[in-house]
Amino acid sequence: MDRTSIKKWFKAPDKMGHKYSLWAVYFCTGCGIIEVPPVITSRWDAERFGVIPVATPRQANLFLITGYVSLKTLKAIIRTYELMPDPKYTVGFGSCPINGGMYWDSYNTIKHLDKYIPVDGWISGCMPRPEAIFIAVTHLWTMIDKGMATGYIKYREKYRYYRQNQEKLFGKLEWPPLYPMEDKNG
Amino acid sequence: MVIKAVWIIVLPIIAFIIGVFFLGLSRKVIARIHRRYGPPIYQPVIDLIKLMNQKSISHGRLFDMGVILSLAGSIVLVLFIPFGGIAPLSGSGDFLVVLYLMLLAPLGVALSGGEGANPNISIGISRKMMLSLGYEVPLLFSILAVMTYYKTTSLVEITKAQQHLSWGVIYLPLPAIAYFMILPAMLGIRPFDIVSAPQEISSGPSVEYGGRYLALMTVEHAFHTFIVLALFVDLFLGGGNPFTFFVKMLVVFLLGLFIHAVFPRFRIDQAIKYCWKWPSILALAGLVIAYVVA
Repeated sequence: MDRTSIKKWFKAPDKMGHKYSLWAVYFCTGCGIIEVPPVITSRWDAERFGVIPVATPRQANLFLITGYVSLKTLKAIIRTYELMPDPKYTVGFGSCPINGGMYWDSYNTIKHLDKYIPVDGWISGCMPRPEAIFIAVTHLWTMIDKGMATGYIKYREKYRYYRQNQEKLFGKLEWPPLYPMEDKNG
Repeated sequence: MVIKAVWIIVLPIIAFIIGVFFLGLSRKVIARIHRRYGPPIYQPVIDLIKLMNQKSISHGRLFDMGVILSLAGSIVLVLFIPFGGIAPLSGSGDFLVVLYLMLLAPLGVALSGGEGANPNISIGISRKMMLSLGYEVPLLFSILAVMTYYKTTSLVEITKAQQHLSWGVIYLPLPAIAYFMILPAMLGIRPFDIVSAPQEISSGPSVEYGGRYLALMTVEHAFHTFIVLALFVDLFLGGGNPFTFFVKMLVVFLLGLFIHAVFPRFRIDQAIKYCWKWPSILALAGLVIAYVVA
């Protein structure tokens, strides 16, 4: 952890700020949210790494997709993701957002989350332990440091792909496109 | 004249540093009371740097202006409240000016929130106004008691009259207790954090603020914490030089924080009932006593 190195703070304050002040939007998509209360309270105290839950997407820059994603939830996830200010980071938590997990043949959950919103990292397991969240956070630090956590840029550049996938699932969406639909590499 | 101009620039910076220090300290102390390790004490600075570097979304001109009005009101207020004998803009009736200027910050938030058009903001603003309706009754009573006792409307005069350990809290114990009882409501901490209740109304008036707006609101909050504590120290704990002034502020803040760390939240009706009952009765009794004694 290089939180105390003054040199880095002067070199890239934006990067360091995004690294050590990850505010997670408190949004429960599935059963995985049960691992989050121990993480943010006394036992595993995520606040010592600067990770706190916030109640509104406008203030958040970390989105934990905790557990299976049903169709109804996906709509809310997309809207929440689009409300968050850039730069924003998404982490899929548990095996269900990765490939459907134990809901692989369910008619009402999606199998691959990264078709609908960009995901910067995954935590596998059913359920992952709370420690896995900290490992994910430290990985995310490394990725932000190296400029690899670029999901929000990908969303802007390939918005047409994501929007098409979303519309394939829901039919016509009730909200206008976030970015212009014509783009370079579809 | 030059010294005054320098203080006008330096005092808000001191207030900002102290306010941000208090924000960081509160997070650390609360964490330790919860038996957590807690964030580093400079965590609010990290948060501010992050928020300033985020892309922020505006909802219109009034949305921008309201935040700035709120912050400007707080900065002007800092110049009127003596900090360890330093009050660059003090005049003969500065206490009355302070009472009026204290309304600017919530007014700015209300203006800005109206543009945001989120139902949570409206609920938060109405709660804020209700709560200030609640705590301003005992606040005005205790302030009137202080004014009556010292026969002046100048904060500098009031502080000067309390030199050599003849603190206001010794001569006016009831208004001091009343002020301390409504201190959490003025600071917006538990048990009176009904305005920004994150679990009920998604942090209330600041629900649409992100990025730079939230940074400005955090700075405003730091100034507000400074103002409320400095007013208490000036009125009842005898001012002092800047260092002792800071120590007194710290003690008052920690006492408030211990209440914040262990108590749950009031409902809005309970909060108003509380504010209009015990602090009001104590402050009114204090006012009568001050009138008779003075």
